[in-house]
Amino acid sequence: MPVPGLILLAGVLAVPLAALWALRWAASHGELGHGDRAALLPFDEEEPVGTATDQILNRPAKP
Amino acid sequence: MSAPAKPLSALMPGDVSDEHAKRALLAEIDASCRVPLLFFFVSALAWLLVGTALALVSSIKLHDPAFLAECPWLTFGRVRPAHLNAVIYGWASQTGIGVTLWLMCRLCRVPFVAPGLATVAALFWNLGLSVGIVGILAGDSTSIEWLELPRYATPILFFSYALIAVWGVITFRLRRERHLYVSQWYLLAALLWFPWLYATAQILLVLEPARGVVQGAVNWWFAHNVLGLWFTPIGLGAIYYFIPKVIGRPIHSYYLSVLGFWSLALFYNWNGLHHLIGGPLPAWMITVSIVASVMMLIPVITVAINHHFTMRGHFGKLKHSPTLRFVVFGAVCYTLTSLQGVANSLRGYSEIVHFTHHTVAHAHLGVYGFFTMVMFGAMYYILPRITGREWPSLGLVSLHFWACAIGLALYVGPLSIGGILQGLAMNDATKPFADVVAGTLPYLKLRTVAGLLLGLGHVAFVANLVWMLCRVFGPYRQPVVDLITGNESPAAVGK
Repeated sequence: MPVPGLILLAGVLAVPLAALWALRWAASHGELGHGDRAALLPFDEEEPVGTATDQILNRPAKP
Repeated sequence: MSAPAKPLSALMPGDVSDEHAKRALLAEIDASCRVPLLFFFVSALAWLLVGTALALVSSIKLHDPAFLAECPWLTFGRVRPAHLNAVIYGWASQTGIGVTLWLMCRLCRVPFVAPGLATVAALFWNLGLSVGIVGILAGDSTSIEWLELPRYATPILFFSYALIAVWGVITFRLRRERHLYVSQWYLLAALLWFPWLYATAQILLVLEPARGVVQGAVNWWFAHNVLGLWFTPIGLGAIYYFIPKVIGRPIHSYYLSVLGFWSLALFYNWNGLHHLIGGPLPAWMITVSIVASVMMLIPVITVAINHHFTMRGHFGKLKHSPTLRFVVFGAVCYTLTSLQGVANSLRGYSEIVHFTHHTVAHAHLGVYGFFTMVMFGAMYYILPRITGREWPSLGLVSLHFWACAIGLALYVGPLSIGGILQGLAMNDATKPFADVVAGTLPYLKLRTVAGLLLGLGHVAFVANLVWMLCRVFGPYRQPVVDLITGNESPAAVGK
């Protein structure tokens, strides 16, 4: 196989191999567990679960 | 901006157990993002307007070839790649980087590290791109699709991107929240995948060009992966953050979202060669690509199910949130364009739609309907927070959404159908080619009308942003730093 072909093949293989490595890292660091906790990460004390944000359109007119 | 009495560094080390400190940190994160993000967003929007103008010229030329034909700089062969590169590297990449930077700061719970570094990166990115677009219009295009920027422009872009990648790694290392949210997986992957794709393609196609069919293979591997491993992860990362954040409800199934990410990472990379069905390549390469394309049903369906069930019971909020409108629209388009992509990868279907306007419609459904709409939604959420100012005109917000939504439907629908009819006609040996071309004219004219509608939406958005930045408004919300430091003055973040 010519050199460019080898580079392309290496490039194509690199993504899934890197993904497998990252998957192993994630598993060993507990990233694949605690899903319920991880799902709460976008929320904070200022905008907790249950608080809708960005509700700026079609608001009722102020009296 | 009023300086907080308590320095940020005092809030940084160790666990933040104090609620006031946490809230101050969030406000500080938003404020720290202001300069680099505004630079990225404003310049991205400038490129969007440039790209839209170039797109309209290209579109008109398809049904009126004499339009601006006297000027060599504005011939179709230059304007069309200039449009493509302006929107891909000027608009989509810059706005994607901006959204990525903000999301990383928010999810890592760290203020923007070295905003000067990111601002310099943005400066160089725009410099490199300006040189490149002028080079394309001057006739220096490489003629390699998605890589038309002349070779003297790309090192500047690469230097700029290196600074951004360094920033990403630093922010990740400094993160104060150890557990990763699924959006971070997508964003980190995108930050790492893009330079690798870009560098490999540059080496094999521009610096030391491969010969023969390898060129085609590399070209489509790169072009398809820019969409799938650069824009798609950023878009999905943003969707996974903004839908829960806006409706106030966690994602339906976190485990499903993780499954979606890992299946994308494992399968997408192999997809690009399905664009070369019928080409002079080893059959096994095409077959592997088709199999991987069909495997993409796994991440697409998991993402679609997860988004739908997260939104269930909250669809009424679409009426009130511009972010949600754009993001949910983008999420639906992601599902549609992905399913369309799977269909396009099948040999029988590809025999009809290959080399037709159907492919153009498919690309716009992905890059515009999915990615661009999600980025618009993200900007509606982020900009008020980093500037401290409300969107001045809700009418312009609605005009933006409906012009883009209707424009996109008018673009993709007729062009997809027209593309299929075009393909069927091309496969009919008894039909003269000139008749096939003439048969596409109604669809091409509708495409120009659709482009005008999209342009109207873009102008509405830019007008709203300029108005927001120029007019003196009250604070969007009182800076939390002021609340805890006792500074009750209306010194808004954005003033």
